Amino acid sequence: MGDPDEELLSRVAGGDPAASRALVARKLPRLMSLAGRMLGDPAEAEDVAQEAFLRIWKQAPKWRPGEARFDTWLHRVALNLCYDRLRRRRELAFAEPPDRPDEGPGPDRGLEASDTGRRVSAALQALPDRQREAIVLCHYQELGNIEAAAVMGVSVEALESLLGRGRRALRAALGDLKEA
Amino acid sequence: MTPERFETLAEAFGGDVSRWPEAEREAAAKAMAAQPAWAERVLAAAGGLDAALATFAPPRVSGDLAERIAATAPRARAAAWARWLLPVGMGAGLAAACAAGVVAGGRFGATVTTPASEADPVAAAIADYDAGVYLDEEA
Repeated sequence: MGDPDEELLSRVAGGDPAASRALVARKLPRLMSLAGRMLGDPAEAEDVAQEAFLRIWKQAPKWRPGEARFDTWLHRVALNLCYDRLRRRRELAFAEPPDRPDEGPGPDRGLEASDTGRRVSAALQALPDRQREAIVLCHYQELGNIEAAAVMGVSVEALESLLGRGRRALRAALGDLKEA
Repeated sequence: MTPERFETLAEAFGGDVSRWPEAEREAAAKAMAAQPAWAERVLAAAGGLDAALATFAPPRVSGDLAERIAATAPRARAAAWARWLLPVGMGAGLAAACAAGVVAGGRFGATVTTPASEADPVAAAIADYDAGVYLDEEA
């Protein structure tokens, strides 16, 4: 099966504004889903999405069909941008320890519409980054194990191990919830 | 498929077998047929966490974000070039033909990239990132 994004990407490379709008419509929700769950902050997720698209516009003229799936590449680029922000948060936290316990990255804007959602968000943010990444890619982004492993640059066995550990940790954190 | 393998897969991929690795689904279906009550319990336990994860909704996209992003997309340089030609007195037909030629060329103004990044952009994106950034455990 061919890459479903190739035709649109080719038109974007040609400077077709309708194609650019179509690509934004197609990929922006996916980028927000990924970044929103990796970072737990909608404003930062928007920043990641905007920067990811700047990378797309730059990459589009160079894209060679058939060598990689565009969606796989885009997920890796977005994750790199997320890790930039996660590293910055840790550097800031180290430089300026909070006076009071950190209650999370920012105000809710549709991410945690329920108490359970808030608890899940907090539990995800508390996971080691790579476990959270594996769960976001497989559960929320619905990538298959082979594609998720490719995005993460690990074997499918390593991916499975990360998923298992991450989900066990989430179950422990959310054990009192009726659903968990 | 052994019962242990079935449980490991449920623990990793959740209670919906259609989301399990494609290579394992057929064996999983046979395991479910062989021990349906047990398999249902295992999947229900994993499905409880799936339901909890589903309560964490994706962020809403703020009003005009899509438009703002689309506005940053590069436009065909040939169009701007053709508009420059018209006031100089060149015919619209000639300007359009020139513009079409530039667009068909496909790399007008494109920057040169390294062969490695063009050959495997996903590997380049992975290598582009310092592995030391993973401050937490890694697989």
